[in-house]
Amino acid sequence: MDSEEKRPDPDLLLKSIGTNENSGRGKLKIFLGYAAGVGKTYAMLDEARELKKSGTDVVVGYVEPHTRPETLQLLEGLPSIPPLTVQYKGIRLKEFDLEKALNRKPEIILVDELAHSNAEGVRNKKRYQDIEELLNAGIDVYTTVNVQHIESLNDVVENITKISVKETIPDYVFDNAELVKLIDIAPEELLRRFEEGKIYRPERAVAAMQNFFTKENLRLLREVALREVAQRISQDNINEYDKTEKTINQRFLVCIGPSPSSAKCIRWTARTAEAFHAPWTVLYVETQDSRSQTEEQQENIRNHFDLAAKLGAQIVTLNGYDISAAVAEYAKLSGITNIVIGKSRKKKSFRNFYEKNLEDKLISKLSNTEIYIIPDNDNVKEYKRPHQVKWQNNFYFSWGDTIKSLAFLIAATLFSLLLRQLDIGEQNIIMVYILSVLIISRFTKGYAYGVISSVISVLAFNFLFVEPYYTFTAIQVGYPVTFLIMLIAALLTSAMMVRIKTQAKLAVERERKTEVLYELNKKLLVTRGLDNIMELANGYITSLYNRSVIFYPEDPQNGNKGVIKKASSDKDISFLNASDEEAVAHWVFVNKKRAGAGTDTLMGAGAFYMPIMSQGNVLGVLGISCASGNKLNHDNRAFLRMIASLVAMALERQHLSDEQRQIMVESEKESMRSNLLRAISHDLRTPLTAISGASSAILENKSTMDEQTHDKLLSDIREDSQWLIRMVENLLSVTRINESSMNVAKTPQAVEEVVPEAVSRIRSKFPGCNIKVKVPDEFLLVPMDATLIEQVIINLLENAIKHSKRSSLIELTVKRLGSLAVFEVSDNGEGIPLQELPNLFEGYSSGKDKNADSSRGMGIGLSICRSIIKAHGGKIEAENKAEGGAVFRFVLPIEGSDINE
Amino acid sequence: MNNIPVILIVEDENGISNFISAILTSNNYHVIKCQNGKDAVTMAGSYCPDLVLLDLGLPDMDGLEVLSGIRKWSDMPIIVVTARGNEIEKVKALDLGADDYVTKPFGTLELLARIRTAIRHKQKSYNPLETDKIRIGGLVIDIVKRTVTMDGEVVHLTPIEYKILLMLAKNAGKVITLDSICKEIWGPYTNELNALRVNMANIRRKIEANPAEPKYILTEVGVGYRMAEDA
Repeated sequence: MDSEEKRPDPDLLLKSIGTNENSGRGKLKIFLGYAAGVGKTYAMLDEARELKKSGTDVVVGYVEPHTRPETLQLLEGLPSIPPLTVQYKGIRLKEFDLEKALNRKPEIILVDELAHSNAEGVRNKKRYQDIEELLNAGIDVYTTVNVQHIESLNDVVENITKISVKETIPDYVFDNAELVKLIDIAPEELLRRFEEGKIYRPERAVAAMQNFFTKENLRLLREVALREVAQRISQDNINEYDKTEKTINQRFLVCIGPSPSSAKCIRWTARTAEAFHAPWTVLYVETQDSRSQTEEQQENIRNHFDLAAKLGAQIVTLNGYDISAAVAEYAKLSGITNIVIGKSRKKKSFRNFYEKNLEDKLISKLSNTEIYIIPDNDNVKEYKRPHQVKWQNNFYFSWGDTIKSLAFLIAATLFSLLLRQLDIGEQNIIMVYILSVLIISRFTKGYAYGVISSVISVLAFNFLFVEPYYTFTAIQVGYPVTFLIMLIAALLTSAMMVRIKTQAKLAVERERKTEVLYELNKKLLVTRGLDNIMELANGYITSLYNRSVIFYPEDPQNGNKGVIKKASSDKDISFLNASDEEAVAHWVFVNKKRAGAGTDTLMGAGAFYMPIMSQGNVLGVLGISCASGNKLNHDNRAFLRMIASLVAMALERQHLSDEQRQIMVESEKESMRSNLLRAISHDLRTPLTAISGASSAILENKSTMDEQTHDKLLSDIREDSQWLIRMVENLLSVTRINESSMNVAKTPQAVEEVVPEAVSRIRSKFPGCNIKVKVPDEFLLVPMDATLIEQVIINLLENAIKHSKRSSLIELTVKRLGSLAVFEVSDNGEGIPLQELPNLFEGYSSGKDKNADSSRGMGIGLSICRSIIKAHGGKIEAENKAEGGAVFRFVLPIEGSDINE
Repeated sequence: MNNIPVILIVEDENGISNFISAILTSNNYHVIKCQNGKDAVTMAGSYCPDLVLLDLGLPDMDGLEVLSGIRKWSDMPIIVVTARGNEIEKVKALDLGADDYVTKPFGTLELLARIRTAIRHKQKSYNPLETDKIRIGGLVIDIVKRTVTMDGEVVHLTPIEYKILLMLAKNAGKVITLDSICKEIWGPYTNELNALRVNMANIRRKIEANPAEPKYILTEVGVGYRMAEDA
């Protein structure tokens, strides 16, 4: 495939982007001129040479090859990046090589011609986008541009020179430049240079001279350039104080339509708003007519939106039947102080003879708002609004409506006949017919049936009820008036109905959008977990647009694949996982801008990628497949943005709750640690004292001690030390719990192997105890750290033995309950004192009035049990049995789930 | 047999080696002691003890090194002493040729039983399989007929189950690592850990009265299985 070859190498791309991170933004210096030949490139190179001399790492990224020889001389001695050669339609084009520049990463790079449009197949459509990437990578850029290439000045320059400039740069690029240096020479001097052939080769010079290089043009252009720089300076001065106050005072609103002249309104507003330092909004009202727009009109609207976005406007689309009402409503609500509308000189036609102009309507509705009218220029080619489509919409044929109309008309006629039989005045018959026409208009679509019915009614009335009967001649003078009234009634009702239905339809559509958003929001609110949020968002987008979606919660460069949801209409979506698509997603993560199909960046991609942003951070990237060929229109993108903002909120919430969880884990760890410390300091001291006391008693009183005392002391020593061993084992087991995540390393273990080992250990410690073990018949594998679970079982059994009479029955049962394994230790002992029940697993924190000895052994043991079970993602609980004795129960998840979620 | 078995205790903690040697001496063993790895290797060479009780935590070198050092030239029974919860170390030691292990803290009875088993297996290996039947409690394995009976009743085992049972029974009293069973049954290049577990569960259900409290095949969690010597 042709486009495949032109697509940039993803590996190179990834590599080049990788170097961008973790560096501050570079500075942009623009050398501004008012025409070709003023010496921008010369000035730029000259400055670069100076910098080079002082030891700065300067590299020439790209200089137009047709540069004048004097300028080319300056290139000598400056390192440069060889240009990229692109094959396009058989022509070899030289382009700036962005990859190499990013890899080279100099301190300063020179890139000529900021407004240049790249050849197809290069990563970015425009050179200023290349330069933005360089700046993002922390490289300072020197570049040149002529004043006519600045977007908002585009039409001004066009007016002066009568030549339209296609290659423009958005104003923000110019406004955000760190430094702007104006390269200025007198127009006379420039013309002299020009005549000497220093600017263009002689054969081109003649044509250029006639078209562009006239003294008058140059003077005017010079003025524009000087003004622009002067404005920049004054703005810098103003910016230093009370900027905020000024922005509050004024708000601009520009209304646009599908006409190409709207671009002019947008530019005008951009300039004016800039001068006032006011925010501005572009408003497009979608009406019933917009549904029948031609491809060209839709394209125009899209272009207008793009232009507005480039110039820094806020873009709003409204639905409404009446444009003026929608505009007025929006203006009131958003505190708009100035409204800009375009106006072309329309001939008055019959149709709009009585219709008020938009500006008149606006003035009547908004008495306090200033309204600017921008005339439509004649040099824009005559733009016709296609009307025929609209008519088609309101006149069409349907069997259902025909039958309905006929039925009403026949009913009216029959009823009228009845009235005549009863000899009730014919004025009532007229009323019946008017009523039937009203009803028909109400229940049919469009104007057609109403109008036709009114004609038929008039004819029927004339034929059946007007003397002479059964002819179409009307004798009485008043009847034409009657006919006319019936016709007007039908038309009015139909028009009203059409309007009401349209509004209802628009309202329903708006309602649907709101509902979708509301529903999504509601669901997102109750959704927990990153995976679920992604699934939900993917599901919604897929069902809304019937396109496959990929969701990257993290930069794919970190090795994470996106989550894909396949739409039913897409056959093969494996391309979404390809490395070049991932490179696009990565670009979006780094540059925080949308990219891919239908955008200006990496447009070769198969999907449209947009960042999910919150507070300047990219929380994720959504990719929407455009593989079927149709790109997303503005409306879709706007709606996607809304969805994205909801998802962003949900993700943000998720991040917060994750953080919260982390904090809880920390505090849990803290409390466990302090419990342990307390246990060690408090609980170990007692038996150690006893052991050392008993052993020294034996050693020192060997001769005087009777054998019974001797043996008693020795068995005490053994008991205490065995207790100590168990305690230390408990403490050691805690160290197996991962410090940072409070998790354990789980491996699948057979329950019937772990349980017996614990039981046999208990049996050897407490010979004579009566333990009955039951495990399920089925072979049950449970993920766990066997040593720790063994410890838990040992602790629980030991606890049961301690608190029940000798040789009373203790039961250990393991059951499977769905995806959970339930372990139960039940004894027939004294049960758990009620006041201890709530804090049983808290270790020592609860034991206010317990004396240390009585709790010895189990307080810390149970708290360790809880830590272990929690670390397994399980649950532990205790209760008293009705028939006496206590039950300790812990539950472990079998399928890797965490039941605490 | 009038010669008393000689046991070499390699243990750096005096307290522990004191009480072990007290137990062993009173149970009619001759005890020699050393406190570090270097001495252990030389003493094993010069005394040729009947059994080495090797603590893995030594001050000068890793106990596992001592183990593999002795194994280079001798197959004398070696029992390693390890801490509880350190299954990986136990498996490593067994793989390096240790005959058995005891876990600290251990009881005296347990220690003596292990020592007896290890010495007996050593003697057996000189004249292998004098019988064609293995009896453990009520379990009888007839190696010639390839039949298994439990308290006189025939137990039907699959070929794999029989192989596993036979392998454990031949090494009764010794722990066999999961890995070595897998290798023996399924060959060296597969990992059939779960298959082994399932097979083991089935064997237990066929020969144990209560699989939850097995008498014949005991589990050493994380390490392997041990067939009881007498049930």
